[in-house]
Amino acid sequence: MSWSVVQDMAGDAIVAVAFFCFIVVFLRNMIGLAQLLIAAWVFATRIEPSESARELWQRYADLALPITMIAPAYNEELSIVESVKALLALEYPEHEVIVVNDGSKDDTVGRLIAAFDMYPCERTQVAQLQQTQIRQTYASRRFPNLLVVDKENGRKADAANAGLGFARTPLVCVIDADSIIEPDGLLRAAEPFMHDNGRLVAVGGAIRVANGCTVKGGSLQKIDVAKALVPRFQVVEYLRAFLTARVANAQTGTLMLISGAFGLFRRSTLVEIGGYRHDTVGEDLELVVHLHRHLREQKRDYRFAFIPDIVCWTEAPAALKGLDNQRARWQQGSLETLVRHRGMMFNPRYGRIGLLAMPHILLEDVLGPPAELLGYLVLPAAALLGLLDPMMAVAFFFVSIVFGTGLSVGTLALEEQQLRRTPSARSLIRIGWAALLENFGYRQINLWYRIQGVRRFLKKDGTWAAVPRLGFGAD
Amino acid sequence: MKIFSSGLYETVVWGSAAMAGVVVVIFLLLVLRRYLAERQVDANKRIDAAITRSYLRRVAGHRPETDDAGWTDERRLAAVSQIQALLRGGERDRLMQIAELDGLLAATVRRSRRWRRSERVSAIRLLQRFGSELCIARLRELMARDRSPRVRVEAAFALAAAHALPPPRETMRILRMTDRAPSRLDSALLRASVPDYREQFVLLLEDDLPPVWRAQLIDALGWSGDVAVMPALEKAAGDEDPEVRGAALRASAKLGHPGGREWIMAALRDPDANVRVQAVKASEALGLRDAVPQIRDLREDSQLWVRLRAEQALEALDPGYDTTARPPLARNPAPDLSNCA
Repeated sequence: MSWSVVQDMAGDAIVAVAFFCFIVVFLRNMIGLAQLLIAAWVFATRIEPSESARELWQRYADLALPITMIAPAYNEELSIVESVKALLALEYPEHEVIVVNDGSKDDTVGRLIAAFDMYPCERTQVAQLQQTQIRQTYASRRFPNLLVVDKENGRKADAANAGLGFARTPLVCVIDADSIIEPDGLLRAAEPFMHDNGRLVAVGGAIRVANGCTVKGGSLQKIDVAKALVPRFQVVEYLRAFLTARVANAQTGTLMLISGAFGLFRRSTLVEIGGYRHDTVGEDLELVVHLHRHLREQKRDYRFAFIPDIVCWTEAPAALKGLDNQRARWQQGSLETLVRHRGMMFNPRYGRIGLLAMPHILLEDVLGPPAELLGYLVLPAAALLGLLDPMMAVAFFFVSIVFGTGLSVGTLALEEQQLRRTPSARSLIRIGWAALLENFGYRQINLWYRIQGVRRFLKKDGTWAAVPRLGFGAD
Repeated sequence: MKIFSSGLYETVVWGSAAMAGVVVVIFLLLVLRRYLAERQVDANKRIDAAITRSYLRRVAGHRPETDDAGWTDERRLAAVSQIQALLRGGERDRLMQIAELDGLLAATVRRSRRWRRSERVSAIRLLQRFGSELCIARLRELMARDRSPRVRVEAAFALAAAHALPPPRETMRILRMTDRAPSRLDSALLRASVPDYREQFVLLLEDDLPPVWRAQLIDALGWSGDVAVMPALEKAAGDEDPEVRGAALRASAKLGHPGGREWIMAALRDPDANVRVQAVKASEALGLRDAVPQIRDLREDSQLWVRLRAEQALEALDPGYDTTARPPLARNPAPDLSNCA
C-alpha cells in the first residue's frame, strides 16, 4: 500500500468523522429546537395553577391522596433538623415524613431524636426492598407523621428503597434530604393525580438551583442568582432541562427522567418493580426507564406527568471541583441504563419509548458528547488541511455555539414570559450573560467530564463520591 | 472535499444566526418589560391602592376617587377580586353590582369566549367570584357546551361552589362521566352536589350504572349529612360488587351515624380484603367498641393491609390494647390496598 493511498484513506476517515460530528450536533440542536417549540406551546395553552395553594387546599383537601415523603440522609447532622421541620410544615392535607439515615458517620440520628422527641418503635415494613440491615425505627412523640429509619450504609437507592418499604400511602415522594420543597410544592405536584383516572404513575416537577438564594430554617426566604459563574451556568442548564426538555418530553409521552431530588410516584408501582436498583449510579433515570419497560411489557395504559412549576430547590456544585464528579456520574448512569435496557432500543414493542425516547438518550448521552468535542477539533483541522469545505467548519461553529445560545436564551425568554421566578431584570441579564458565556469553555469542560463518565462506565467504576456542598447562603 | 454544497452550509449559518438573533431580541424585550415594570412598582402600588379605596368608598355609599388615570379593567378586576374575599353579605353584593356597572363582568364574559382554554378557565374563576345570575348562566353554558372537557369540569366546579350545579343525572350526562373511569375531581363534584339533590342520588342508584360509578354515588351520599340515606347505604352494603360495598362503609363512616352497626360489623367478615379494611375504618370512625373482638381476630388476617388497619383501629378503640404484644405483621406481601388504607 503506497503512502498516497494511506493519506487518502486517512483523509476519508477524517472527513467521515467530521461529517458524523456535524450530523450528530445538528440533530441534537434540531431536537432541542423542537422541544423549545413544544414547551412554548404547552406553556401557552396550559391552565395555570390556581392563584394560591389555599384554593387547591380548600377544593381538594379531602380527596388529596396521602403522600409519604422519603428523605434519605447521609451525614446531614448540620442541616437535618431544619430540613425535617420544613418537610413537616409542607402544605398538604395528609403526609408522612420518613427520614432514612443511611448509616451516617456523624450524629444525624442523634440530632433527630433530640429535636423531635423520638423514641424507638416497632414499625412493620410493608415490603423489604433494601439490601442492608435496618437497625431501628423511631417515632416522634410530638409529630405523629414523622418516622426515622436508621439503617446500615447502602447509598441513596438503598435508603430510598428502605423508606419505600415502610410507606403505607398510595403516593410516595422521594427527595434529597437537603432539597428545599416549595411550601405548596407537594399540593401542586399532586394536582395531576386529582384529574387522573388511574393511568398516572408518576409526576416530576421543575427543580431550580438555590445557590445565591437566602435560606433560613430549611425554607427559601429570598430568591437570587449566584454571583459565581459555575452556579449561574447551571441555572441555565437546569432551565433548559426542566422548562424545555422535560416539558416537551412529558407532552409527547417520552419522559424518561424524574429527578432524584423530587419525584412523586405511585407506591404500588414502585414496589412492583422492586424500587430503585442498587447497582447503578444513575438510579433515577434507571427507575423511570424500568417503569416504562415494566408497564409496556404488561400492556398497561399509563402515563407520566411533569409540572413546569417549580416544586423544589437544590444546591448545585459551586465550583468545577464537584461538578466533574456529578457530571461524570450522570453520564455513567445514562450508559448503565442504556446498556441494561438495550433491548428496548428501536424495539416497536415499546412504542415511542423504544423508537424515540431511547434513541434520543443514545444521541444525547452516548454519541453527543464525544461528537461535539471531537467536532471542535476535527472540523477546523480538516478545513485547514483542505479536506473539507471551510464553510462546513463555520456551519458547525454556528450550529453548536450560536444555535445553542439561541436555545438557552429561548428557554430564559420562556421562563420570563410564563413563570417569572427570576427576581429582577438585573438577575435576568446575569443569567442571559451566563447563557452566552457557557458556550466558551464551560460547555466544552462539561463534555470532557462526560467523556470521563464514559471512561468510568467502561472501567465499571462503582465508586460514588458525594458532591461537595458549601451550604445554602454561601456564594 | 464537499459533502454538501456550500449553499447548504450557508443556509445553516444564516439560519442559526437568525434563530439566535430573534430569540435574543425577544429576550431583551422581555428584560426591558421587566425593567420598566420594576420602575413602575411604586406608581402601580399607588394606583392599586386608589382603586381599592375607591371601591370601598362606593360600597359604603361615599363619593369615589376622581383621578382614575391608569385604572385598567385588569387592575380593577384584581382589586375587586381581592376586596370581595374580605367582604360579606350586603357589602359583597353591592361591590359585585358596582363591578358589573363598571363593565368588569362584561369583560370577564368576553374573556370566557376566548380561544385559549387557559383564558376561559381564568374567566370561570372570576365568574365564580362575581356569582350573579348572569355569571351562573354563563357558567352553565360553559359547562354544557365548551369544547374542552377540562373547561367543562372547571365550570362545573364553579357552579358547585355557588350551589348551582344541575341535577346529578344532568351533570353526569354533560360531563360524560360514565364513559370513563372516575377521577377524584368527579368524586368531589358529586360530593358537592349531594346536599342539594339527595333524593335524586338515591333515584340514580336504580339506574343501570357501572359498579364503579354506583360506588361514587354511594360515596357521595356519605356527604349528604342526612341519615335518611341509611337504608340506601344498607342496601349498597349487600351489593355483589366489593367496590360498592366498600363505598357504603366509607359513606356510613362519614355520616357518623351508628345505625349501620350490624352491617358494618358483618362486613368485618367480608370475603374481599378491601371491604374488610373499610369496615375496620368505619368501626374506628364510629367508635364501635362491640367490634373490638372481631377486629382483634383481624390481626391474624391473611392480608397485610387488613392486619395493619386492625392494629391502628385497636389502638384507637381499645385503650388497654398492648401494642408491644401484637402478633408479627409482615408475614406475606399482600396485594396492595394502600389506596384504601
